[in-house]
Amino acid sequence: MKPFSYVRPADAKAAIAAAGTEGASFLAGGTTLIDLMRLEVMTPSAVVDLGRLAMTAIERAGDGVRIGAMARNSDVAMHPLVVERYPLLSQALLAGASQQVRNMATVGGNLVQRTRCPYFRDLAVPCNKRAPGSGCSALDGYTRSHAILGTSPSCIATHPSDMCVALAALDAVVHTRHGSRERAIPIGEFHTLPGEHPEVENVLGQGELITHVELPASPFAAHARYVKVRDRAAFAFALAAAAVGLDIADGRIRGARVALGGVATKPWRSAEAEQALVGQPPARATFERAAAAAIVDPKPRRDNAFKVALAQRTIVRALELAWGSP
Amino acid sequence: MKSPLVGTAIDRVDGKKKVTGAQTYAAEVQVANVAHAVIVGSTIGRGKIKAIDARAAEAAPGVIAVVTHHNAPQFPGVTGQHEGNDRVVQGLQDDIVLYHDQPIAVVVADTLERAQHAATLVTAEYEAASTVADVEADLPAAFVPETPRGPLQTSRGDVAAGLAAATHKIDTTYRTPVETHNPMEPHATTAVWQGADRLTLYDSTQAISNVRRRLSGMLGLAPENVRVINHFCGGGFGSKGAPWSHVLLAAIAAKASGRAVKLACTRPQLQSLVGHRPKTVQKIELGADARGRLTAIRHDVVSETSRYDLFVESCTAVTRMLYACPNLATVQRIVRLDVPTPTFTRAPGESTGTFALESALDELAHAAGIDPLELRRKNHADHDPETGKPWSSKSLLECYRRAAEAIDWSRRPAKPRTVRDGRWLVGLGIATTTRPSRQLPSSARARVLADGRAVVQAGTQEIGTGTYTVMTQIACDALALPLGDVRFELGDTALPEAPPSVGSFTAASTGPAVHNACVALRKKLIDQAIGDPASPLHGLAADAIDAEDGALFAKADRKRRDGYAAIVGRSQQPEISVELHTEAHKDRDNFSVGGFGAVFARVRIDEELGELRLDRLVGAFAAGRILNPKTARSQLIGGMVWGIGQALHEHSVRDARTARMVTRDLADYHVPVHADVPDLEVLLVPEDDPHVNELGVKGLGELSTPGVAAAIANAVYNATGVRIRDLPITPDKLMKQPEPR
Amino acid sequence: MSSMTTPIAVGMVAPSFALHGDARRALSSSEARGRPWVLAFVRRWSPGADTEAIRAELRGLGAILFIVSDAGVWSFRPDDDLELSIAPSRQLRREIAALGARCGVGTRDDGVLVVDDAGIVRFAHAPSSELTSSLADALDAAGRELLGLPTRPGITRRDWAVMSLVAGFGLVLFHGCGGRGTEPAAPTTVVAKPGTEIEVVLRINGQDRRLKIDPRTSLLDALREHLALTGTRKGCDHGQCGACTVLRDGHAVNACLTLAVAAEGAEITTIEGLARGDRLHPLQAAFIEHDAFQCGYCTSGQIMSAVALLREGRSKTDDEVRQQMSGNICRCGAYPNIIAAIQAARKEV
Ligand SMILES: Cc1cc2nc3c(=O)[nH]c(=O)nc-3n(C[C@H](O)[C@H](O)[C@H](O)COP(=O)(O)OP(=O)(O)OC[C@H]3O[C@@H](n4cnc5c(N)ncnc54)[C@H](O)[C@@H]3O)c2cc1C
Ligand code: SF4
Ligand code: FES
Ligand code: FES
Repeated sequence: MKPFSYVRPADAKAAIAAAGTEGASFLAGGTTLIDLMRLEVMTPSAVVDLGRLAMTAIERAGDGVRIGAMARNSDVAMHPLVVERYPLLSQALLAGASQQVRNMATVGGNLVQRTRCPYFRDLAVPCNKRAPGSGCSALDGYTRSHAILGTSPSCIATHPSDMCVALAALDAVVHTRHGSRERAIPIGEFHTLPGEHPEVENVLGQGELITHVELPASPFAAHARYVKVRDRAAFAFALAAAAVGLDIADGRIRGARVALGGVATKPWRSAEAEQALVGQPPARATFERAAAAAIVDPKPRRDNAFKVALAQRTIVRALELAWGSP
Repeated sequence: MKSPLVGTAIDRVDGKKKVTGAQTYAAEVQVANVAHAVIVGSTIGRGKIKAIDARAAEAAPGVIAVVTHHNAPQFPGVTGQHEGNDRVVQGLQDDIVLYHDQPIAVVVADTLERAQHAATLVTAEYEAASTVADVEADLPAAFVPETPRGPLQTSRGDVAAGLAAATHKIDTTYRTPVETHNPMEPHATTAVWQGADRLTLYDSTQAISNVRRRLSGMLGLAPENVRVINHFCGGGFGSKGAPWSHVLLAAIAAKASGRAVKLACTRPQLQSLVGHRPKTVQKIELGADARGRLTAIRHDVVSETSRYDLFVESCTAVTRMLYACPNLATVQRIVRLDVPTPTFTRAPGESTGTFALESALDELAHAAGIDPLELRRKNHADHDPETGKPWSSKSLLECYRRAAEAIDWSRRPAKPRTVRDGRWLVGLGIATTTRPSRQLPSSARARVLADGRAVVQAGTQEIGTGTYTVMTQIACDALALPLGDVRFELGDTALPEAPPSVGSFTAASTGPAVHNACVALRKKLIDQAIGDPASPLHGLAADAIDAEDGALFAKADRKRRDGYAAIVGRSQQPEISVELHTEAHKDRDNFSVGGFGAVFARVRIDEELGELRLDRLVGAFAAGRILNPKTARSQLIGGMVWGIGQALHEHSVRDARTARMVTRDLADYHVPVHADVPDLEVLLVPEDDPHVNELGVKGLGELSTPGVAAAIANAVYNATGVRIRDLPITPDKLMKQPEPR
Repeated sequence: MSSMTTPIAVGMVAPSFALHGDARRALSSSEARGRPWVLAFVRRWSPGADTEAIRAELRGLGAILFIVSDAGVWSFRPDDDLELSIAPSRQLRREIAALGARCGVGTRDDGVLVVDDAGIVRFAHAPSSELTSSLADALDAAGRELLGLPTRPGITRRDWAVMSLVAGFGLVLFHGCGGRGTEPAAPTTVVAKPGTEIEVVLRINGQDRRLKIDPRTSLLDALREHLALTGTRKGCDHGQCGACTVLRDGHAVNACLTLAVAAEGAEITTIEGLARGDRLHPLQAAFIEHDAFQCGYCTSGQIMSAVALLREGRSKTDDEVRQQMSGNICRCGAYPNIIAAIQAARKEV
């Protein structure tokens, strides 16, 4: 770990001020930051500990819910409001990581967590995301964990979050504060595609603090499902994951949400799949059409070609389970 | 008479320590003012170091020393990397790089944080050469090496004729990937010099004597001036069977810095610096007559080794002895790669070889339309087909019977894809497992102290197998002392020498040594009493005396007793002790000795998503006398979990372009977690074997690993009709292929 | 007060000795030939609680220790039992007095002499009576002298001695200086500059532990390297194995991914804090009963995770428990026994 100055501000204002200087980084649960600092993949000059900030509330906001950025993943997953209104989010969180990591990880940190691309984590090899312009070791390397959607010739790293996939399906809004400016960023605009700048992963400015996330009222609670396929039965990142919600009335799908994880460079909402569902009766054939529509122009590499079919089948399975078919 | 402790399921004697966190491992021994060392690894796979710049590291706060090949202390026994006995250890003696992550420097600082950061400040320039990373990239270069790890090329009968005569034939190729041991305790050494020529190493090793011998050789010290201590080893599985570079580097760093030094490898370093199981490519041909009797077996293996060592993964050892077959040919070839050298990994050769052989047998069963269990029974080897010797004992048929019954094998439909349960396809599979059993010479010392209690000592190791516990049981019985009155000590080269804790032979080697030392001590106590006019037993014949509860008594008159404490007290010695060396049991030469078992798996597979759930895993095992059913069962389930990992998860990946390890941590190198492991069913088949040793023990730490991967793969076939010949069995391989549009 | 009559000075050749008393075998300096040794006159010492601390110091020095006390004479090596002792006798007292005289230590005084592997005296100290109350501490001072380390700034030897009386453990003190406050740091902005140490108070197993550490220090390394609480293990240092699991305010967390400074104000429970005296926590007892470990390296983490699991009470079936426990890898494969132990202990917790 590179030496850093440690700052533990007492409130948000002081935190934002302290993190304003280039190279400063917020510390929430530390499960991404400390992990990567120990590898010296991240080398912040200052660590601004958010541990004393009271941003942990999970509360009603109209028909929606408002979740503080420092709320722990496990607390969010178990909170009655979330379990009742957004079972999708609860399922996604519980599918992620371990008991310990979920107890540490926060909503804000999870939104900003970084890829698990093994080359990104290995200082000895080129990586555009870690060292812009150095090249991408994954492109012609070992790509089992990599993305097939949203890739660029600069980077094909998967966004690893489970939580964000559910947030994408739920139309979450990320609220931030920067100096005296406050922003409300729709989840779909929060993460950016790698393009030529894979080192940029979201729209946050230096020192911009995520204060909370708001979930709008959701008609999907009754028919929602998160399905995660992975290499072992627990404690593994997704090979493919799907978060879906169905609003079914009179035997027809009135509204639908489909988002993918494990296969894209950012949490991947598929409007195409949703369109293919709306107005149709819930049935396997409908689900298959939607799944096919979800994967537009995939760019598989040597070791992850299987993800094209796997992503589609994961969507079908999630839709079937959401609908309630056996 | 008290009932013996041996054979009973007592709790571990070190259990309380282990659940309170009180036991200490090599990196945890308390040493005042200890400094921390961190290894810097190479970032090329082959070539030379042109320049190495340690200035920034040296200038960093807290740094005491940076050792590179420019300034490393020279030791007589530390040779260049290409020569010498200890070529597998890289001790910063030259500029040659033989693999990625090879140590090129070691940084010593006053705190761990400072040492870790300073290590990142060491930079090197290289002259890099091209690398070969995979056996299959250089198959034509495969050769049969000259090494004692043989025989590497064997044949009996006439395989061509056997195949020609066969009604059913199989000719297939299986692959097993590079696997990495990844014990939970990272390899660590704390090195303390006592003056110029004495060294104490607290080392996480499965073989303290081995470390002493090798390190004293390398450092040019008298063996008795090197003391190696390891009271608890946090798992090794073969990777701690011999010292690797970090042990030498800890000693060098301590020398260079003038401080006691603690060096713990990082998890990424464990993927490269401490050995791995090599990849294997195994071609198997089988022939059988119409009734399913094997007429020919051919097993050709190619496995990887490094540029500087000749390691062979002995896959064919099992093939040569498992089934009765008159015609057999095996060959083991290796390919040199630009990788760190492979080594023994839990059930080395057996686990990989058994996967291939037992999968092939399943394929043969299907080809011949014979029940896979029946096929195995038909070809049961009643004596060792390789040596012609009888088995000292063999209960394989009983293992088959009991495990088959437990899993309801008779209800298994022969036709794949028959059993469905909702989304799941369900299948059953079987495989045989075996491990040769060896006994090595071992010494032990038994002492009765003034208070009548005993201390029994042997320089063996506790790697989790329960050595403390079973040795205590053996000693209690032989000395007629209750459990609390015997303390067993191990893990210190100052104690009588015992063999390494590898190859599942600790119980079968040090067990008899402990037994014999204790029996001799008891005899000495008896002699002492007989000869002592003050003893109530004075003048009796030795065979008229027995012992119980820490006292001798006259068989004819139990009230005539002499307590051990009293005997020691009158001897005017602080203690009475015996040290004894025990050789392998003579009888063994006339027999082939091994443990056997049968493993049955039931899997369910969701073909759409490629998900596999292991429903049940049943193993029946016979391995001679069971010293402690509790710890024995633990050993066996542990071995089965390794088999599950091999079947479903484990796969170290190197970058094909650079030969650098890509799977560098436990997030990328998957081993089974709780959720992957059902409640494993272990059946212990009792076996009374008078030939193996005094205790009738064969050893079973590795017996339950081979066979598991094949049983699972065979169950996958039964469930889905898909034959997986390439481990591990991951979702992408299980997913039903998309139908062409 | 010390009364070195013929002071043995640093740089001189050390006196050789052989103490017999009434014993058959002598205890002699020739035992130490070729390795450093320490001769300590500690009149009131007898083998006891400070043994581990003394061993740690001896390991650091790589030395053999000879202790001369009113209760006898011992030779002591870091990894052996008390090797040899000679019981007090009139003869022994005479020999000791003679040896003391040669070393410049009066018959009622304490003193320490450190001799390097070439037989040269490197440290000679006849400390005040408080100091010698902790032999480990005196050895620590000697060790520092040998290694040429500076004494920690701001701390006088006297402070040290007093504190070592409190802690009785020189090693802990090395990092645990500066009195014993109990107030957690105030919730105002705390700043530590890069490369400087920071003072933190950690509440561990119900005790406040004050430390001065590099801000980079993880909670795990603070426990293991600074507080000698090594029961919490390091398996990966990256949150991937669970060996380092501790409870933070009752919840299982990875100590390796927690900065020690960031754990200030939290209630930390480690494996060492689970048993009540000799009474094991029901989970600890169940782990023994069900043989839920082999090498034992993952065990602390498994138990701490299981404590949290049972406390939360959400996971009930075997499959639920397996899911929730999956952050704790056991490479020995004790999984089925661990599940059995947790389910058995559930009834008692
Ligand atoms: C072994 C392991 C396994 C894992 N498995 C999974 C998995 O299966 N699925 C999954 O989804 N995730 C997984 N994770 C990732 C985990 O979910 C993330 O690391 C975690 O969510 C990050 O949250 P944190 O609070 O710990 O963030 P930190 O590590 O504290 O911070 C991460 C980043 O977010 C920034 N940040 C934090 N809070 C704020 C804020 N309020 N405003 C602005 N920026 C902020 C920090 O500056 C930092 O750059 C795993 C992690 C580990 C270590
Ligand atoms: S895929 Fe992205 S993160 Fe991975 S090596 Fe390439 S640039 Fe780096
Ligand atoms: S050491 Fe913390 S999880 Fe492995
Ligand atoms: S007991 Fe060895 S890792 Fe679990």
